[in-house]
Amino acid sequence: MDCNGCEFRPELYYDKEFQIWVSKQDDGSLRVGMTDISQSIAGKIMHIRVRKPGTRRPSGKPVATIESAKWAGPIPNFMDCVLNEGNPEVLNNPSLLNQDPYGMWIANVTPDLPVEESLASFLTGEEAKKAYCQRAIDEDIHCERLEQK
Amino acid sequence: MSNSEHYIDSDEEQTVLIIMTSGPSTPTRCATPFFVGSILAAMDAEVRIFFTMEGVRLVQKGVAENLTAMEDGKLIIDFMRDAKAAGVQLCACMPAMPGYNIDMENDLIDEIDEVVGGGVFADLILTSDKVISF
Repeated sequence: MDCNGCEFRPELYYDKEFQIWVSKQDDGSLRVGMTDISQSIAGKIMHIRVRKPGTRRPSGKPVATIESAKWAGPIPNFMDCVLNEGNPEVLNNPSLLNQDPYGMWIANVTPDLPVEESLASFLTGEEAKKAYCQRAIDEDIHCERLEQK
Repeated sequence: MSNSEHYIDSDEEQTVLIIMTSGPSTPTRCATPFFVGSILAAMDAEVRIFFTMEGVRLVQKGVAENLTAMEDGKLIIDFMRDAKAAGVQLCACMPAMPGYNIDMENDLIDEIDEVVGGGVFADLILTSDKVISF
């Protein structure tokens, strides 16, 4: 299925609107990043600020804020968790999110509940891909990457 | 190296009232309030943007949908939608509407959360932690 040039990774977990992706880590923590759809909507990201390490974040409270020249908003959070750290590479060079949205995570969090329970409402695999592509097509979102220097 | 500028340290949830008096006669003043509102909401602030004076023109159907702050820029309605998506509440001032011949029943964009009178506006000014006017 053509997703208007928007890359999808079946091994990741996604919120229902495909704003963020989540990946499991061996130590029970989770990495959170933004999807190709999100980085394309935002445009070149100029600033990112993450909640201070150790901060408790309830579901519904963002883990970070993002600013581009034309868009500002949250990196949403869908689980009760503690923020462990922001990705120093991304904090120092936010436009890396536009170059490699799935290689560059934004925040590492530890969920309050067991990982599988925390991810129960997320979409993954082929089911997720279908819905991801549908959003790109329905909203006429065409993904573009910044070239890596 | 990352530094403290990269981290948000405040756990305090504040209320912010943004009073929007600018409208289509000054388009360059019409994007920033929504942009800032989005950031504040993403930082856990409870944000209301209150449209009054010429600001109410932005909540009239067909105005923000055709207005940009700069040539070939993003539409103001999209800045407003981004702010709403970030959690910002959009309120319009009822007493300001007759001056611009806006029909409250039929002319308002769907994005507006509530239309309120001057008393509520006064309450918001007195009870918000921060008040900003554009």
